[in-house]
Amino acid sequence: MIGQDKIYTMIEKVMASSKADQIEAVVIGDSSGLTRFANSYIHQNVAVDNTKITFRVSIGSKIGTASCNSFVLTDLRRALKSATTIAKRQKPNPDFDGFAQPADYPKMDTFDQKTSKFSPKQRASKLKRVFAKGAKYDYDMAGAFSTGDGEVAVLNSNGVRCYQQYTSASINTIATGEDSSGYASGVSVKVDDLDIPKLADVAVKKCRKSRNPKSLEPGEYEVILEPAAVSELFEWLSFIAFGSKAFEDNSSFLAGRIGEKVMGENITIADDALVPANPGLGFDFEGVPKQRIEMISNGVAKGVVHNLISAKRAGTKSTGHGLPPEEAAEGAVPMNMQLSAGESTADELIGEVENGLLVTRLHYINGFLDPRVALMTGMTRDGLFLIKNGKLRGGARNLRFTDSMLDVFSNVLGMTSERAAVAAWWGSMACMYVPTIRVGKFKFSGKTDF
Amino acid sequence: MKDKLLEIIEYLKSKGVDYADIRLVRTETERLKVKDVTVDSIVHDVDQGIGIRVIADGAWGFAASSSVKSGSFRKTANRALQVAKASALTKKGNVILAETEVHQDHYETAFEIDPFKIRLNKKIDLLLKVNKLLKRKKLIHMAESQMDFFKIHQIFASTEGSLIEQDILQSGGGYCATAVDGSEVQRRSYPTSFGGDYACAGYEFIEGLQLLENAERVREEAIALLKAPPMPAGAADVILGGSQMALQVHESCGHPSELDRVLGTEISLAGGSFLSLDQVGKLKYGSDIVNIYADATVPGGLGSFGYDDEGVKAQRAPIVEKGLFVGYLTSRETAPVVDQKSNGTMRADGWNSLPLIRMTNHNLEPGDAKIDDLIADTEGGYMLETNKSWSIDDKRLNFQFGCEIAWKIENGKKGQIYKNPLYTGMTPKFWNSCDAICDKSHWHVWGIPNCGKGEPMQTAHVAHGAAPTRFRQIEMGVSK
Repeated sequence: MIGQDKIYTMIEKVMASSKADQIEAVVIGDSSGLTRFANSYIHQNVAVDNTKITFRVSIGSKIGTASCNSFVLTDLRRALKSATTIAKRQKPNPDFDGFAQPADYPKMDTFDQKTSKFSPKQRASKLKRVFAKGAKYDYDMAGAFSTGDGEVAVLNSNGVRCYQQYTSASINTIATGEDSSGYASGVSVKVDDLDIPKLADVAVKKCRKSRNPKSLEPGEYEVILEPAAVSELFEWLSFIAFGSKAFEDNSSFLAGRIGEKVMGENITIADDALVPANPGLGFDFEGVPKQRIEMISNGVAKGVVHNLISAKRAGTKSTGHGLPPEEAAEGAVPMNMQLSAGESTADELIGEVENGLLVTRLHYINGFLDPRVALMTGMTRDGLFLIKNGKLRGGARNLRFTDSMLDVFSNVLGMTSERAAVAAWWGSMACMYVPTIRVGKFKFSGKTDF
Repeated sequence: MKDKLLEIIEYLKSKGVDYADIRLVRTETERLKVKDVTVDSIVHDVDQGIGIRVIADGAWGFAASSSVKSGSFRKTANRALQVAKASALTKKGNVILAETEVHQDHYETAFEIDPFKIRLNKKIDLLLKVNKLLKRKKLIHMAESQMDFFKIHQIFASTEGSLIEQDILQSGGGYCATAVDGSEVQRRSYPTSFGGDYACAGYEFIEGLQLLENAERVREEAIALLKAPPMPAGAADVILGGSQMALQVHESCGHPSELDRVLGTEISLAGGSFLSLDQVGKLKYGSDIVNIYADATVPGGLGSFGYDDEGVKAQRAPIVEKGLFVGYLTSRETAPVVDQKSNGTMRADGWNSLPLIRMTNHNLEPGDAKIDDLIADTEGGYMLETNKSWSIDDKRLNFQFGCEIAWKIENGKKGQIYKNPLYTGMTPKFWNSCDAICDKSHWHVWGIPNCGKGEPMQTAHVAHGAAPTRFRQIEMGVSK
């Protein structure tokens, strides 16, 4: 990591040489190691260091953006000059009201020394235990185990100075047998928080319990969705419904429906990067402090997240959800979503199901079918179980679902009090915090032979 | 810089590695996005660094750094060695690479106009003109257009003696009109959805896209979809347009033919494949008219290059011939499993990524039909165009794809349009129902700049040659 002082000193020196009206610099550093394994050995193992520096420059309301990944004075000056040249040739943006103003930022505890220094050899050592768990039943273990650190700094000519360093450790693993598979995953700021042998046990147990899967016909089933499955649905909801761009282009089911009941009263969906369970950055990539935003409150549509420009268009203020400058055209997106908890245990939820299915995770979801009703499709994967009279009764062959998430989340019959953090695919500091849920009706539209 | 790379190769040899290669990659990117009549963003990016792959103690290690300062190369090389030694702690056998020829060469994309030398105003003005045409009707709530350009300079050196320099230029763009009426929202895109069409070419590719010429049609179709009924469910004959066929080939043939998926090494994220090793030369993947080749030599194809990221020369490899599944996309590590040499598909999406087996230009060969004749020959059915949604299981069998628009075909004529059309199927059954493919005059290599694979996720630029194609009695779904 470069460190706060060195970043501030260097960027301030570069910004001082510019005559642009306003300048913003975003520095994103990442040093990560990722060990991939399959067939119970390590087949890919990477260590990557990178630092990206992006300048946004305004001349009046004309904005230019340029970036580089070299923290060398001449390269930084070249990038700033390039941003300025673009701004000069740009057209005015009537929605630009200036870069962020200085603010108080929450102190986030997102760095762990041990995780930062965790070596490839240490990862391999942990994985040996995972492979041993699978070997007991002749199962192949596959997955990925990553550890690393990073830093984000946002500075601008209005005086914004914010910096945060973080670490991240995550693992996912699949146990695969002759005709079944099982999945488990974990994520935390601290590698020591990951109980890797226990996660391997979960994957192996799911693989064992789903042997000789039964073929089911598509149709409506009562389902228990475990956190990995709920999180995968949330990843899509964040883009098609809760981001500013979808709201602006009217494709979000929230557009024109603020204040209306769109889901069940027991559903509150918020974005909150400030809670220890799913910590994110305390500020966004424009230097605006992150706020807790409820998109759905007790089933009622409340609103979406914003960056500076989308907020101006919507006649409101930024909620601190701006993306990195090169992705700013995608608007603001919630990256640390959470679903309200219930009062049950997972066993209690299963115990209430007379005839249904337990879904461990979902695969290849697509939410573009009809975003106005959040119609999504996808497959079950790595642990689909039959439930009869409140008990798990073996595995089922995978099914394709096609259903409206407005219907699904209007029909949640119960949720666990315990919630799990699940890594989201778009970054180290993004994850979901969700319970296991019981859904009265979930529509399956197709099936497979495995 | 070549000397520095060769110095590191010699250093790694002195460390006793079984094999090593190093890639220095510098990518210059320009992205322009216009929303309605406002330029949403213009971004210029320069990204560079080195990636070093080694086989030491019989196992792989990879390290990469954005620092190209003196001293950092050796530090990165040592890190790759350290990573390989950690991998070796769990190895089941030594990594063995298929033999390949040693090359010293320079490859570059053929192009006419360097897009980075075209004035920004000219590019912005074209996008603004498109959006103004799209926004001419009030029901168009939002118009979005974009252009992207990539200039990639890469040097590859290996302990086997290869030293390859490549300069690749890629250009692309497109637009989308979002029509809104009350709670109804519909989109039409051109030339295709999710960013448009891309190629290994210069600005002449943008000029050839006929962006302005198609804007009014696209606008009117988006508006018409607002009042269109949803497609009825049930089995029907279907003609899929060229860009949707590109997606169909990508998901149901391209990915399952990747040999790393077949061997289980991608199972944790993307999944495996139904094309198991015992199916080669036996599985009737499609009907007799289905011929699919992976061809990295197609001029202008977004998946074209001179050499892959293992230094293997670009080539044309058969995947499906006369409907029979005959081969995989391979790498130097996986090819020996099928007693072959690599067919050159290992690519990384940058200096900081490990090369993976990726599609190149995965092309469905043209047939002999003319589109007008094909429609006239279709008694009852639908024509679907432009991808809207995609989902397929982790073995690439059960798929459900959605398009932006469908036309009813009745008595050989295109008629009524339908919104939110979906179709679903099982891959081999679907491809075996293929009974007509349009000819070369309708065939186009569609560039897809966003193919995801791997952990950490990599985004590859690939392409698919395809023409409108007919399938019999396909299950159509209805969005609710």
